[in-house]
Amino acid sequence: MPVRAWRFKSSHPHRRRSCTAGTSPGRITRSRESGGSAGDDDGDVYGLVVRVAVVVLALSLTAWVALSVAVLVGRVRYDLSRRESPSRALGEREARRLVRRASRRARTDRGTWLRISALRRLARARHPAAPRLLRTALGDPDPRISAAAVRGLGDLGDEWAIDLLLDALREERAPRSRIAAQLERLAPLPRAGLLPLLRDKDPAVRFWGATLLAPYRELGDASLVLLTEDSDPNVRAAAVETLGDRSGDAAAAATLALLHDPAWFVRVHAARSAGRLLGAEAGPSIVRLLADVRWWVRTAAKDALRGLGPEAVSALLPMLTDTDAFARNGAAEVLQDIGFVDHLALERPDSPLLERIYAAGGERMRVAAEVRTGRRKRERKARAA
Amino acid sequence: MTGDLLGWVVVFCLGYLLLTNLVYVVLVFVAAFENGVRRTESASEDYQTLASSRFTIPVSVILAAYNEETAIVPTIRSLLALDYPEHEVIVVNDGSTDATLDRLRETFLLEPYEVFVRRVFETEEVHAVYRSAGHPNLVVVDKANGGKADALNAGLNVARYRYVCGVDADTVFDPDALLKGMRRVVHDPARIVGVTSHLTIALDPGRAMAAPHGRRPIDRRPLVAYQHLDYLRAFFNNRLAWSRLGFMLCSVGAFQIWRRDVLEELGGYSRTFTCEDIELTFRVHERFLREGRDYEIHCLPDNVGTTEGPDTVGKLVAQRERWQRVIDETVWHYRRMWFNPRYRSVGLIGAPFYLVTEVLAPAVELTALVSLVAAVALGLFEPSAFLVLLAAIAFMNAALTACAILLDDLQSRTYRTRDLARLLLLAPLDLVLYRPLIIWARLKGSWRFLRGDKAWHKFERNARAPAA
Repeated sequence: MPVRAWRFKSSHPHRRRSCTAGTSPGRITRSRESGGSAGDDDGDVYGLVVRVAVVVLALSLTAWVALSVAVLVGRVRYDLSRRESPSRALGEREARRLVRRASRRARTDRGTWLRISALRRLARARHPAAPRLLRTALGDPDPRISAAAVRGLGDLGDEWAIDLLLDALREERAPRSRIAAQLERLAPLPRAGLLPLLRDKDPAVRFWGATLLAPYRELGDASLVLLTEDSDPNVRAAAVETLGDRSGDAAAAATLALLHDPAWFVRVHAARSAGRLLGAEAGPSIVRLLADVRWWVRTAAKDALRGLGPEAVSALLPMLTDTDAFARNGAAEVLQDIGFVDHLALERPDSPLLERIYAAGGERMRVAAEVRTGRRKRERKARAA
Repeated sequence: MTGDLLGWVVVFCLGYLLLTNLVYVVLVFVAAFENGVRRTESASEDYQTLASSRFTIPVSVILAAYNEETAIVPTIRSLLALDYPEHEVIVVNDGSTDATLDRLRETFLLEPYEVFVRRVFETEEVHAVYRSAGHPNLVVVDKANGGKADALNAGLNVARYRYVCGVDADTVFDPDALLKGMRRVVHDPARIVGVTSHLTIALDPGRAMAAPHGRRPIDRRPLVAYQHLDYLRAFFNNRLAWSRLGFMLCSVGAFQIWRRDVLEELGGYSRTFTCEDIELTFRVHERFLREGRDYEIHCLPDNVGTTEGPDTVGKLVAQRERWQRVIDETVWHYRRMWFNPRYRSVGLIGAPFYLVTEVLAPAVELTALVSLVAAVALGLFEPSAFLVLLAAIAFMNAALTACAILLDDLQSRTYRTRDLARLLLLAPLDLVLYRPLIIWARLKGSWRFLRGDKAWHKFERNARAPAA
């Protein structure tokens, strides 16, 4: 498109000045038709604007067409082929390409993710080169590569893969929570390898060892009880959490002891475990935590007592007149949540005990209970009718 | 003299336009790179283990609702159906004057309970807390009206988990939304303090999300289609690039994951701004960079849900006017960050980018429009030249829009091919059919900001088919 076609109008005589008189954007250049030279046009800012616009238009129009074609062709090709399943058998050529890619140390972010993708494909396809490549990748200084190796090992799930995962957990070659997720996914296969973790000198390893023992109820009771006296509070918390699903006097004694642990989060785990392990027997010990200085301990105590259901009532009632306000309203809240308040409101609405609960829980507890029980009464009536 | 002045104004406006579009082109390249990285990363993620492992970090989802009787039920159903190992849904009814609470009571069999919660943040009075007989992980807090930030703070008081996800009441989520949002967090919870992700738009999100993946329709009405394109450009061309460059400055209100201890440390959502999302993101950056702490805020390209878009021009203008106001408020409030090397890429690129392309844009766009029309009217500009300029701008926008469509389709393959073709064809007309509305809304927003108006101006929800 010739530039001269887009010259500016120059209908007013005072605007008919050559650009040599100045290059102000407001001034109008003479057109080529009226005798101006090409150099005149070049010096005109408006002319420049239009030339830039023409170039931008040409480029952007081309880009728009090209991108539109890319969207539609890419989509149609995708719809035709559908996404390939990563676990399908690999062709020989593709496998070679993936092995090459997975072996190469990536220099760019994109290269790193292509390598990760290749590792995953090879692991899912159980390619013979996968063990070697995953072993190498596990030692890679880039945490994304080592995390991908962890996922690949989880996909394979062979004995040697589990050993590598356990080593990776000890040496923290990837986020330990992600390694633990793969080990737990492979349960019960890693069982034999977990006990040594409990004796590791690194407290983080002992923590994960105790945590991962949860699904193996027959394994490691004595070691877990020992770990409840560990110097590291995280280990004590993990040990007591796992003990919650065990049985036996030693486990019970250790759990009850940790209800008084100086670390607040240990008390949280101990409260939950005591409820599961000892049932109503733990009620009187857990209710004391309703007056704990930490909010989360009080919340855990409430959760544990709710879990006990009606069996918690006898332990909760004395707390309704406790000197601590948190203990009082916590006890009332649990009595409400386990249905005791509704039971009294429906069956014995004039009970002094109900008034004691309302006094501890506040006026809003009464209002809420009346709304709930009013509805139930209406339902009863409707059924009777 | 007038001609000179007008000429300079035209050149300035076109220069501004060219410069900002060049910046957008650079951002598109960065965004394409980021999209590729995240796509490969997502493809190699072990979602199955993530969805079933007890080591996946639990999340409290907080939904603030004000007069949402038509929209809220499908939203909560989608939240309860999230495929995630452990999450709770906290709905805060912020003093609705319609039947929002009644709809919730009926649908989810709510019953009032007295619940003693921590009061980390001061909020308007909580009237009642409800639990659902059918969904143990659903809690509904009914409180006096205090605005969205206040409602979210009330939700934070009830939240139990380490990460919270703030969502909007008009957004319906994919079952794997939380998994996709949290997939990067679980690898590095110590550094990743905030995540947001891509959302799309529909007149009736529930109906749109009911269609299977890959065959999801895009509304045929141009107003909705152009909003859809607007969202694609914002997420794929801008936020992905910002995320890669370390200045992700807008964690969108419809899906914002935050580490709760960060929110507690910063005092929660602020009530002093028109809207809470952008301001909070700026505040997190400001605090962490000022204290030299290591952190990351991400925008992910995964399509996590569909939000409701206005179905009339009036509603659209009201919504965008509010967005402009909150951007102006936030950028002005954090002006100490502009060009300040202490705030690294946020101070040197992110905040100035917002200033130039968002705060100043309405004034420049208006000036460009007026000066170009005046130049043509005064005979300084030939109409044909004017048309070439318009076409150049229109196709530059269209090319950028096509990039966003391409990046989205590569990432999610959500929509039908014929809908994608329609979007591509609509893109060049954006400048004449849609952009004037947005310019008008932004001008209104800027004017109201200058007047100190901080009202929400909530737009009326679209009429929908009743929830089943």
